[in-house]
Amino acid sequence: MQVSVETTSGLGRRMTVQIPAEQMDQQVASKLQQLTRSVRLDGFRPGKVPLSVVKKRYESQVRQETAAELIASTYEQALQQENLRPAGEPNIEQTRNQSGEELEYVATFEVYPEIELPDLGDLKIERPIAEVDENEVEKMLEKLRRQRVTWTSVERPAAEGDRVEIDFEGTIDGQPFSGNAAKNVPLELGSGSMIPGFEEQLVGLSAGDSKTIEVTFPEDYGSAEVAGKTAKFDITVHSVAEPTLPELDDEFARAFGVGDGGLEALREEVRKNMRRELDAAISNRIKSQVFDALLEKADLDVPTSLLDSEIDALVKKDSAGADAGDDRSRYEDEARRRVSLGLLISEIIQRNQLSIDPDRVRQKIEDMAQSYENPEEVVQWYYSNQEMLGSVQTLVMEETVVEWVMDQAQVEDKSTTFEELLQQAAGGSA
Amino acid sequence: MNDERLSKILVGPVVSEKSTRAADLNRQYVFKVLRDASKPEVRKAVEKMFDVKVNSVQLLNVKGKVKRFGQSAGRRSDWKKAYVTLAEGSDIDFASAE
Repeated sequence: MQVSVETTSGLGRRMTVQIPAEQMDQQVASKLQQLTRSVRLDGFRPGKVPLSVVKKRYESQVRQETAAELIASTYEQALQQENLRPAGEPNIEQTRNQSGEELEYVATFEVYPEIELPDLGDLKIERPIAEVDENEVEKMLEKLRRQRVTWTSVERPAAEGDRVEIDFEGTIDGQPFSGNAAKNVPLELGSGSMIPGFEEQLVGLSAGDSKTIEVTFPEDYGSAEVAGKTAKFDITVHSVAEPTLPELDDEFARAFGVGDGGLEALREEVRKNMRRELDAAISNRIKSQVFDALLEKADLDVPTSLLDSEIDALVKKDSAGADAGDDRSRYEDEARRRVSLGLLISEIIQRNQLSIDPDRVRQKIEDMAQSYENPEEVVQWYYSNQEMLGSVQTLVMEETVVEWVMDQAQVEDKSTTFEELLQQAAGGSA
Repeated sequence: MNDERLSKILVGPVVSEKSTRAADLNRQYVFKVLRDASKPEVRKAVEKMFDVKVNSVQLLNVKGKVKRFGQSAGRRSDWKKAYVTLAEGSDIDFASAE
């Protein structure tokens, strides 16, 4: 077997392999020999077909098969011999395949880039430090209270913050338009869920009142039919209700499923949840910093075949939503990032012989399960579902890598607040 | 012996264990020919179609088999078989000629 390799472009390789004629012909001959035993032909008893007849009929077919087999087996050998690691499937072309001549084929493929792990000694990473303080907890509790608002009907004109139940029917220049009317709509005044100006004009109405108001749709309103136009709405108010925030007491706590311990337990629960969120935000921030830094330092050539398959995966994932079908370039950056990161991470893992610690996986899953009602069940479920387990393992792996990088790099602590951090996290992911 | 008749003389090759053996050992190629074909006709036809030199031709009649389907008896047609011996150095490759 003779192998020669040329470099076509950055990562592209062209490998020409020649297999000696004897090897090829020998295999073809032995295959034909075997065929004579099983071939059935009119005019011949089974197994009595002369080799010459079989050869005449089946040789080209057998040659093709043998060539394919030989190519498959020698391809691997040739790669090992030349010490190449191809990324993605090769494109194999037979250039010569004739009796008495050597078999020759050309495989074109891309190789994995040589990854040089950059020196991370001078890498600076900011580690945000934040605590959940009592104020934040109180704010969160306030939010929870607002979710549990109860409404009580009142016999007085509606004020900002009240909820009214109305019928409305709108017309533009006397003509109805789509979505112009509805009955028994609950509307919270000041919530801003209707077009601007609508809710304000309802302030002061009592139950049973009717009023005709004029509202101008904003220029950038979703429906072009009505955008920028002025509409008349006939409004009938059925009821006015005022909000009552529930008291912060043990009763309130029970409503959230905190059985014993009352309000203190609820507060504790909230704090724990926030703490978890905070931890997640912090590790996310560190992770993205580490990954960004890695990407920047190790300037990688990404094999196109890997890039393509990644883009395919992304497109597939997204295709449920928008019809992004042909617009592949949109995904290219994202895919490039993912592929290079994948390469880098696996390289780091290999070089440093990092491994997934099963204890950590368990810990992670238990952490995640905490926020569910039945942690035990959730844990069970994770362990019985290979896919989910795999994703957790990947997560742990990433964390391990991040920790390794942190060991190498210089870490700066930077104090910040809960709110700030969460906002950054939200902004970063958007 | 016009060309039109010559081109009809050879009905087809006979492919069997016996015929391949004859070809391998004695350069005799076996054909199914028209029932009323004569030796000179077969010789001409083979020489013309396959561009070979013929040494000799042997003809024989093959009786059709009696076949029955249920109660009714039937008989396959009789046919004529030709063993054509080629001169040294000639041969016929049916696969490429067909």
